[in-house]
Amino acid sequence: MDVLQVATIIALVLLALSWYLSYSASRLDRLHAKVEGAVSALDAQLVRRAEATLELATSGGVDPATALLLADAASEALDRHTHHPLSHDPLDGQTFAGREGTETDLTETLRAVLSDETVQGLRLEVGSAGAESLSRVEASALRVQLARRFHNDAVREVRRVRAKKVVRLFRLAGHAALPQRVDFDDDLPPAVVD
Amino acid sequence: MRIGLVCPYAFDVPGGVQFHVRDLAEFFLAQGHEVGVLAPVDELTAELPAYVTSCGRAVPVRYNGSVARLTFGPVTSSRVSRWLEEGEFDVLHLHEPVTPSASLMALWASSEPVVATFHTSNLRSRAMHAANPLLRSSTEKIRARIAVSEEARRTVVRHLGGDAYIIPNGVDTRRFAPDGALTRWSGTPERPTLAFLGRIDEPRKGLAVMVAAMPAILDAVPGARLVVAGPGEVEEISSALDPRVRAATEFLGSVSEDDKVALLRSADLYVAPHTGGESFGIVLVEAMASGAPVLSSDLEAFTAVLGPSPAGRTFPVGDGAALAAAALDLLGSPQERARLRDLGLKRARSFDWGVVAERVMAVYETVIEGADHSPVEPALRAGLLGRLRWPSRGEV
Repeated sequence: MDVLQVATIIALVLLALSWYLSYSASRLDRLHAKVEGAVSALDAQLVRRAEATLELATSGGVDPATALLLADAASEALDRHTHHPLSHDPLDGQTFAGREGTETDLTETLRAVLSDETVQGLRLEVGSAGAESLSRVEASALRVQLARRFHNDAVREVRRVRAKKVVRLFRLAGHAALPQRVDFDDDLPPAVVD
Repeated sequence: MRIGLVCPYAFDVPGGVQFHVRDLAEFFLAQGHEVGVLAPVDELTAELPAYVTSCGRAVPVRYNGSVARLTFGPVTSSRVSRWLEEGEFDVLHLHEPVTPSASLMALWASSEPVVATFHTSNLRSRAMHAANPLLRSSTEKIRARIAVSEEARRTVVRHLGGDAYIIPNGVDTRRFAPDGALTRWSGTPERPTLAFLGRIDEPRKGLAVMVAAMPAILDAVPGARLVVAGPGEVEEISSALDPRVRAATEFLGSVSEDDKVALLRSADLYVAPHTGGESFGIVLVEAMASGAPVLSSDLEAFTAVLGPSPAGRTFPVGDGAALAAAALDLLGSPQERARLRDLGLKRARSFDWGVVAERVMAVYETVIEGADHSPVEPALRAGLLGRLRWPSRGEV
């Protein structure tokens, strides 16, 4: 084998390696972008859910004790959102800024408050502010469920790729923080499921 | 919203996935969305609805243990790309995205947000494992996965990892709503009608279990009649029957949709003795929507459809004696049948396309929202290497 052949082989190997690295890097890029999109979709739905809950509380369609419980849980969730806006802090955003607790609280409050009787009572008054905010709560709660699952799927994909030796060795992920799953209770109140 | 739906199987051949895509497309069209469907066809001259674009002729090929009519190759590939470019969809909804057909090709070529629905529960693991590295970077484009049943979801989890959100198949329940009309199948207390639907020569539809239960039923209710609707060799099956059972059984062969609805509406009992292979019990939903009291085997897909406070009676899979006992119990109790009928009508409403499509729309909106928020210029770049990648479609 002469020098030229060896050089050609080395060049080809390097070319293949660099193609593979760039392919992996762009794939990782795409996956990170997917996670970021998913987390902001989740954030948007959570804000909508909290706002709709607050509307329901102030709609006049529920008794004052119920209203107070709803308002308390919803404003807590909104408060956490305002103090930790995802867009301002991508690193914090990817760990969801510890908002799981307040969102679980809101879910539990909704489940406790939206009993069969309350839901039926609200739905009977078609077109009232109470009925409309209830349907907004239902719609956003469903979308929270969807968004959280899609986000966690995206996180799993990123983490699998980032666990690869090549990715770690060549630091293909750059300085991006490792995305975390978001886990909190988002079950729909049984009364609104059917 | 501009919605692109892709169906992997020949659109002019009847099938669960095809009907699902058709119903979903028509529901969204009626709501004022713009919908395009891409699917292969069996006959190039077939009449297709205006919203369907053909991506070529389906070829019968062995895949996943049975012969499926699929489409592939360079011609299909260029048609898929053209359809995507012309459609400018906000969201692309692929059905059975890992079946080697139009959906997989659309996934490969897509740059829009992708939603995928998994229908089957019997993917062969060998094929999936072999193809996994090949498919992985494509399946990573999927932003939302939907499974039509718990079994389909488990298949996704096992073969692709991650999770899927369950949205059941939809049924147009209004089409089945009971109208109270008498038909030639309407029963009387002395001569109650038991209805069976499904291919008679396919063992997993469970006709054999039904037939095994008939002597015991006839002993107690001599006038009972079994109406069997479904294609298959009637002569062959019928001649093998006990003469008494043969006399009580009426074979209709394959029936029209209207006759199926009429039979279900008139049945005193709808029996679903299936023994397996059902991912989703759509026929149970149809029976419930028609007001037929349901007696089914306790397959997981069926108990899921019947719901937590079951809107039907079940018996152990393949157990003819238990079927007979449950059937006699129900035939002897009009109150219990009326109760199941009311529960069934209520339960069926949660599978109406109105409810189901609403959930699918929620998935589209969530996915589009996520796609809009994805940064145009990703925050991270892998140094120089990042610039060496292939441009994907739409970002030249």
